[in-house]
Amino acid sequence: MDKIVAQYSRSAHQNEFYSEQEQQDLTESLPPLSLKFALPPVDNSSAFLRAMTDDHANPSCPIKLAHGTTTLAFRFQGGIIVCTDSRATAGNWIASQTVKKVIPVSRLSRGEDKATNDPTPGLLGTMAGGAADCQYWLRYLSQQCTLHEIRHKRRITVAAASKILANLTYAYKGYGLSMGTMLAGVTPQEGPALYYIDSDGTRLPGNLFCVGSGQTFAYGVLDANYRYDLSEQEALDLGRRAILAAMHRDAYSGGFINCYHVKEEGWVHHGFDDMNPIFWKTKLDRGEFSNVTSEL
Amino acid sequence: MGSPFDINGGACVAMVGKDCVAIACDLRLGMQALTISNNFPKIFNYAPSTYLGLTGLATDVNTVSDLFRYKVNMYRLREERHIAPQTLANLVSSSLYEKRFGPFFVSPVLAGINQTTGKPFICGFDSIGCIDFAKDFIVSGTASDQLFGTCEGLWEPDLGPEDLFETISQALLSAVDRDALSGWGAQVYIIEKDKVTQRLLKGRQD
Amino acid sequence: MRSIRVSQPSASKVRTHLFHLIIIIGRVPKADRLSSATNGIVLATEKKSSSPLIDPPSLSKISLITPDIGMVYAGMGPDYRVLVDKARKVSHTGYKRVYNEYPPTRILVQDVARVVQEATQSGGVRPYGVSLLIAGWDEGVEPEVADAEKDSESPEKIPGKTGGILKGGPSLYQVDPSGSYYPWKATAIGKHATSAKTFLEKRYTEGLELEDAIHIALLTLKETIEGEMNGDTIEIGIVGPPADHLLGYEGVEGAQGPRFRKLTKEQIEDYLTNL
Repeated sequence: MDKIVAQYSRSAHQNEFYSEQEQQDLTESLPPLSLKFALPPVDNSSAFLRAMTDDHANPSCPIKLAHGTTTLAFRFQGGIIVCTDSRATAGNWIASQTVKKVIPVSRLSRGEDKATNDPTPGLLGTMAGGAADCQYWLRYLSQQCTLHEIRHKRRITVAAASKILANLTYAYKGYGLSMGTMLAGVTPQEGPALYYIDSDGTRLPGNLFCVGSGQTFAYGVLDANYRYDLSEQEALDLGRRAILAAMHRDAYSGGFINCYHVKEEGWVHHGFDDMNPIFWKTKLDRGEFSNVTSEL
Repeated sequence: MGSPFDINGGACVAMVGKDCVAIACDLRLGMQALTISNNFPKIFNYAPSTYLGLTGLATDVNTVSDLFRYKVNMYRLREERHIAPQTLANLVSSSLYEKRFGPFFVSPVLAGINQTTGKPFICGFDSIGCIDFAKDFIVSGTASDQLFGTCEGLWEPDLGPEDLFETISQALLSAVDRDALSGWGAQVYIIEKDKVTQRLLKGRQD
Repeated sequence: MRSIRVSQPSASKVRTHLFHLIIIIGRVPKADRLSSATNGIVLATEKKSSSPLIDPPSLSKISLITPDIGMVYAGMGPDYRVLVDKARKVSHTGYKRVYNEYPPTRILVQDVARVVQEATQSGGVRPYGVSLLIAGWDEGVEPEVADAEKDSESPEKIPGKTGGILKGGPSLYQVDPSGSYYPWKATAIGKHATSAKTFLEKRYTEGLELEDAIHIALLTLKETIEGEMNGDTIEIGIVGPPADHLLGYEGVEGAQGPRFRKLTKEQIEDYLTNL
């Protein structure tokens, strides 16, 4: 009986100032995760969500997420190269060929490319898997990085930023999030640093990653030609060539090649170019892609 | 695994013009996301000015195209004449329905000119042989939704051979550029009463 | 164990069962150059009943197989009936159900001839004791030649459709109990076939009109049969222009009546009057 009464009675100062819950939200640096989103009103919401959204296990699932992608990033003597394709698919439908899959994670730049070639300070994140998941959580990460910068009066390290994201994906493990992300940045503490984070909660530092449905094709090209002492131009060309190979062989990758170079002063954008002319030029000039027919 | 119709990918379209017909297909052969070949034509010739396009499961495309080669050769030997497009349509229909309870996973498209009447003829089929007679165009394959859109937008009656080629090519290329499982080049046949022109289209390679 | 009979029934044995004479006039392109579609074939036969008590209209020797193909026989009536059933069946199972169109005459003849041949080679069965005449019209697949073009050809050539799958037009075949078959311009089978054929050789000309062909057919019958000729004792089947009035409906675009039809008793008597 007491339990039921307690459920409906309120303390005297209940509505003054902030509630306990709200106070906690304001003071904690990370918001409590599992209460921020409406969950499906069923017993086992994570199993339900998986059934609804995982089209690998259930091809007729009602919520189709964009999956196909090829993204890559690698460290070399001149910094880090980040390259992606630009295709978004929903099933076999190509929803867009002009997706920007590199997302700047930085207080100073909210994704706008500057007209000049001056480097923009901050980290870069890549997007593979669910487009909404990646966009939303990288923006969230951006906020957290900004808050970190304000609180600690210095830029966050890539290690710390990647840890925020990994902790988050781990907290939502099993709820059907789908993301494979790379975080790249150069900080005074770490030098050039590259991390891989995915929706399983994995977080890995490394020299070279390819993520997405076209990753195997990109790895093939990258592994064959990668050296740490690549020049900047060689590194950019290799990144592009690896993405090109993946776009050609992987049905769910394609569109435009997006290239970034991250160095000490920040990141520099190196073009968003249609793959088709690049493909034919590569074929004709270098004699590669001889599998492609050009006559009857 | 998804539908057998979506494993290998591919698209095909046929259109009627003035005293001519056109049929076109893409060249991709894939296994799910992986593109295996970009030289897999899906249009087969069964008589002068009679062509059959087959999209769907690649193994069935091969089997069915060979089956009809056999059947049409037997027809030609027995009757000492070429099979007419309308007759082939009925042969395709009855042959597919024979496999009503274990169908071939193909969606055929037929295009031709009847040599007796000189009239263009196109039709499409579902995998168990229901004939879809059309006066304008027929589409099939993983990009069929997109092809319906492009054809509705681009096709008009009484196009000459050159205009028909332009129309069917644009319709096909635009459609497959919005389908992950088709593309990688295309083949077009323009069929006139006593002339057939085959062309290769250079498509996007992604 | 039964012995398998490999020998053919002798022609004379078959003949002893024949009690009718059949006269056929085939391939009669119309002389009128403006209309090449009026060519045709005549199948004419005598129906001889074994008793005056038999109801004549119930007897019939000429059968419709497809709308454009008809058949007549000499020999054993029951065997013929079985072959008619098989011909009708095979024209559907082996052709119409596959191609949604009726078989050309030669294809049907081959299918019937195969049935007949198989009976000469199978154990436990006897060969069919009939000779058949199969007459039909094919639409043809070659486009019709323009009038101007026809005129430029040698004047001796008969214009219009003269038969065959490619060209289209009337064709006439004989099928024997052995399973062999022959195409004819004009022929006869049955008891007095030899004399009838001799008669036909004299009267047949290229470019005969259908009406004249019916006339010649009746003359040939008259030469060779004993007994009275009237609408009850004579049966005529013709391949002619599409008989749209037999369709049972009208106003349907593209619908075409049967080309093969049997003449009524009254029509036959009209022809006999003018003989």
